[in-house]
Amino acid sequence: MMTTYIQVEFARHFRDGYNLVFALLLPVAMYVLFGNIPSYTDTEIGAGNVKFYLMISMAAYGAAVSTVSIAGTVATETMQGWGRQIALTKMSSASFVGSKMIVAATVAAVSAAIVFGVGALTGATVSQGWIWGVSYLVILAGAMIYACYGIGVGMIFKSESALGLASGLMVFFAFFGNVFMPLDGAMLDAARFTPMYGYVALARYPLLKDMPEGTDMAPDPMWMMATNLVLWAIIFAGFAVIATRKAKARQ
Amino acid sequence: MKAVKKSFAVRNGTVEAVKGINLQISRGEIVALLGPNGAGKTTTVDMLLGLTQPTHGSIQILGQTPHQAISAGQVSAVLQTGGLLRDMTVGETIKVIGAAHGRPERVATVMQRTDLEKIAKRKVGKCSGGEQQRIKFALALLPDPDVLILDEPTAGMDVMARRAFWRTMRGEATEGRTVIFATHYLEEAQAFAQRTVLLSQGQIVADGATEELRHLISGRTVSATFASTDDAEQSSRFDQSVAVTDVQGLRYEFNCADSDSFALALLQQYGARDIEISSPSLEDAFIKLTKDAS
Repeated sequence: MMTTYIQVEFARHFRDGYNLVFALLLPVAMYVLFGNIPSYTDTEIGAGNVKFYLMISMAAYGAAVSTVSIAGTVATETMQGWGRQIALTKMSSASFVGSKMIVAATVAAVSAAIVFGVGALTGATVSQGWIWGVSYLVILAGAMIYACYGIGVGMIFKSESALGLASGLMVFFAFFGNVFMPLDGAMLDAARFTPMYGYVALARYPLLKDMPEGTDMAPDPMWMMATNLVLWAIIFAGFAVIATRKAKARQ
Repeated sequence: MKAVKKSFAVRNGTVEAVKGINLQISRGEIVALLGPNGAGKTTTVDMLLGLTQPTHGSIQILGQTPHQAISAGQVSAVLQTGGLLRDMTVGETIKVIGAAHGRPERVATVMQRTDLEKIAKRKVGKCSGGEQQRIKFALALLPDPDVLILDEPTAGMDVMARRAFWRTMRGEATEGRTVIFATHYLEEAQAFAQRTVLLSQGQIVADGATEELRHLISGRTVSATFASTDDAEQSSRFDQSVAVTDVQGLRYEFNCADSDSFALALLQQYGARDIEISSPSLEDAFIKLTKDAS
């Protein structure tokens, strides 16, 4: 039953297009713009070049926004009574949410793959081939924590426009999470506590791991990045659960 | 259902939406749950479907809990509000729910029987209220249920669409199925249900054959303005069935059996003006029945 559900979900999202523009085209457009036009992008950094660094940033942003916007529809659809409709069938709400997660993960995977593909074609390089694969997988796995964020916001505000807001807020998190442009000083210190910092730092780790401590752009210690990611994963998951309970109690 | 109660927590304490309902429905019966808004119909239906849990009492359907009966596909429902996604096509909606019931082979049959094939490619959001209701009805038929529960299935439909809906319903749903539907249209209960359960403020105020109920609220309401109270007093003795139900100045309201001859007499003999004749509304019936009960 999940196969049929997932098929129809894809058909819907492709027909609608609106979500997909943000999820699939914006990240790759930003990569092309910021990764290829400036002159410094062929400069070496860590095990690769600046293009590779920016490719990871944009792919991570794109994957995270995809999961927010698609997972968030779990909430808006539940509030439209679709959840009740599903509740009257054999399908459990776990497989309903599970189907959505598979769709969200697939769109995130496609979004990141497009950025990586364009990166490979336009001269993003790295000295060791495995770094491509590991960075990609970290991006995908990490992006799933933002699904909880999307569900939580959707459940609290119950509207499609709230989901737009949630995706929009991801831009802010991305800037403040050191995703789009390198921060330093007090901004960087504050950034270490924001929700996208650990995620993108971990995705960049394979690229930057051999940079000596203290140099510009050198990675933070592993525990710091991991703690940020895990804590935000717990916060978002808790937020999603509480928001869902509240929404159900008011129904 | 036995001694079922349901309270909701609201901002200023609790509201008891269903205040103790005992109801036994046999297989194959077609039962209307009739009541005005706020009578507790939807809450009762939600409990029957296991969508909310009763705060008190228990519910059994076909010897199981509502949840078990639904998982087994023996019970299905047409929900009152929402329940459809606007950007799915009609065909997709039915396919998805058919798969969710584990009955994909029923999709084509149900589409055909509910006459949805022509609009299968249309988005649900572009369908009229009547068409959307037909989609929900199709969804309820997918598991081929023994018990079909409909919560105000014709809400928001015009008269024509309502009639068409009940025509399909009669053809499709009555083959040995038990049908329970909530409505606030008296005529729907009359036309379709053998038994009617009247709900008011979370309680059953009457339960019996629909025919009996109809007699309970027979007669007409006639109102008229008189030149003097004397005329009005005299007119109230026109025949035995005439009874004064309300007086506002020289405006009188009567209940009577033969409104035609009474109205004629009012005009010709008692000098009355501004005559209005109406059938008693369901609300009147409730007032009468709740008064009788207390």
